[in-house]
Amino acid sequence: MIEATGRFFRSLTGRLLLSAILWSAAALAVGGMLLSFAFRTYVLTDIDRKLEMMIDTMVGISEISPEGVLRFNQPLLDQRFAAPYSGWYWQISELDSQPFRSRSLWDFELAPDLDHRAFSLKLSEVPGPDGQDLRVAERDIILPEADRIFRYQVATDTGEVRDAIARFNWLLMGALAFIMFTVSLALVIQVAYGLRPLRNLRRSLTAVRSGHKERIDGDWPEDLRPLAQEINALIDQNEKLVDRARTHVGNLAHALKTPLSVIMNEVENDTSKKGQAIALQAKNIREHVDHHLKRARIAGGGSGPGLPIRERMEKVARAIARLNRDKDLEVTVSCPEDLKFDGEKEDFDEILGNIVDNAGKWASSVVTMTAQRTEENLRRPYMDIRVEDDGPGVPAEERETLFERGKRLDEHVPGTGLGLAIVRDIVELYGGTAYLDEAKLGGLAVVMRLPAK
Amino acid sequence: MRVLIVEDDAALAGQMKQSLIDTGYSVDHATDGEDGHFLGDTEPYDAVILDLGLPVMDGASILKRWRTDGKEMPVLILTARDGWTDKVEGLDAGADDYLTKPFVMEELLARLRALIRRSVGQSSPQFSCGPVMLDTRNGRVSVHGRAIKLTAQEFKLLSYLMHHEGKVVSRTELTEHIYDQDFDRDSNTIEVFVNRIRKKLDVPIIATVRGLGYRLEWQEDKA
Repeated sequence: MIEATGRFFRSLTGRLLLSAILWSAAALAVGGMLLSFAFRTYVLTDIDRKLEMMIDTMVGISEISPEGVLRFNQPLLDQRFAAPYSGWYWQISELDSQPFRSRSLWDFELAPDLDHRAFSLKLSEVPGPDGQDLRVAERDIILPEADRIFRYQVATDTGEVRDAIARFNWLLMGALAFIMFTVSLALVIQVAYGLRPLRNLRRSLTAVRSGHKERIDGDWPEDLRPLAQEINALIDQNEKLVDRARTHVGNLAHALKTPLSVIMNEVENDTSKKGQAIALQAKNIREHVDHHLKRARIAGGGSGPGLPIRERMEKVARAIARLNRDKDLEVTVSCPEDLKFDGEKEDFDEILGNIVDNAGKWASSVVTMTAQRTEENLRRPYMDIRVEDDGPGVPAEERETLFERGKRLDEHVPGTGLGLAIVRDIVELYGGTAYLDEAKLGGLAVVMRLPAK
Repeated sequence: MRVLIVEDDAALAGQMKQSLIDTGYSVDHATDGEDGHFLGDTEPYDAVILDLGLPVMDGASILKRWRTDGKEMPVLILTARDGWTDKVEGLDAGADDYLTKPFVMEELLARLRALIRRSVGQSSPQFSCGPVMLDTRNGRVSVHGRAIKLTAQEFKLLSYLMHHEGKVVSRTELTEHIYDQDFDRDSNTIEVFVNRIRKKLDVPIIATVRGLGYRLEWQEDKA
């Protein structure tokens, strides 16, 4: 799970998404903080401004009574200062005397620090009655009628404001989260859309590898086109290398076999121990060379335009009939004109040649070859090929062993015994199947399924 | 029986030639495709051993040209490429059999024998004409079950006649099929050989057809 996550974040999609999402998250967070700060500042400044105005108003209506007591010459027309613990308070204090307070303070008293003068406006936060948090604006005023200093204080409960700020913050966070969500969604869609050509490229490559396409074709976006061209060049080069390897292998076969013939013939009639040993080893070398060169020769890959098989089957039929002229062997071919094998000519000839040669050796007079497109709905098109003879056949329990290398049921009929093993090797490399069955004609039937085009 | 070997590898060609001569064939050898084609086109061979991978002109092309020109002698192709594509192309070009390198000489000889036999419509490796038996597998000749010793040339001549039993064979034809191209031919020697064979067999199976040549046949009443 952790490893899978790690892989995801190392992927292109992961990188793009991660960087885009981290960046937008950071931007949104900073923006949110700025907004929240601005709102809070605005709200608090507004309160402070109101408090200051209130002090001005209070100073405006203050007078000293003839008794020397400070009073208002007109009532402060604000009900909020009348209701107890309403959240709005004022208090005017003078050193060494009872403060003059709003009714809303009730039994509570603000505690001004009268020891220090404050002729300019001073703002502070203090705990208030009923668990309230108060914002207090205070200022020392010297009224013109008397040479006395009064401390004017106006306070308001900030709880409500803080609630408003908190509500605003919650709302802000909700909005930002929603924005983040939609942005992420947009990013995912954008990355998926943006990387779609890459995915198509991968699909094309898969098609090339599985042999459904020969090259990466199609109209690629400007930035992928060089990549597609490079891949095509690589495919071409690979084909050339395979071709060259095949040619080398063919040359090697040619080069090895003639001297091997000479060695085998030199010791053919040599009955000495040494001669026998050389003959045996030469035979072993021959078998290895045969097997491995054949295997190396097999391309085992489809692609290409496909091989029309009817012509090949007829050629093989003529060749095998010619080989078995003395028993007047009839080799029949039944195959649709347009059926194509998805693979190499050499491999098809190798498969069919070995099987039909074998059938021809055992048949008494007839070998039939039938090929048809597989009707079943498989992942890709296949063809079914059936080669039958009217020979003696092979008992069911011995059939499977015929595919083993070097196995021959009857040593009298010439053949290296490698034939059917090679057939199965090739067929399996092409992702096909091969098995033996009883022929309708009485002999052996070889049934194969091979990729079609 | 006269055989043409077209093979570019000197060692292998030498071995084949020696084995064939030892078995009683007359052998010509060409080392490239052009020579091989020319010889096969101009000389009457009883069989050709043709390597497919040849310099100048490849085996399949030679074969196609021979067959197009109406040359029907049996051809055994040799191929180092044991892929079926080559075999199929070779056989389709008109070959009668194929042999994949490496091979043992015995197999080559057996295939060759079978090819020649088949080309004259004989299914058994033993030819017989009345009391005379000729086994192509070991080169033994017997009359009434008694082994007869023949020289190489005598065997070649008798073998050719046995392969063409009942047909009139001219002296020229015998010369062409018994000697290889390097031999200094003199058709008079044929007469000498025929007489020696008649003496050794001691049964009248070779008749002289005046002005035309010889015919091998067994007539009960003459015996």
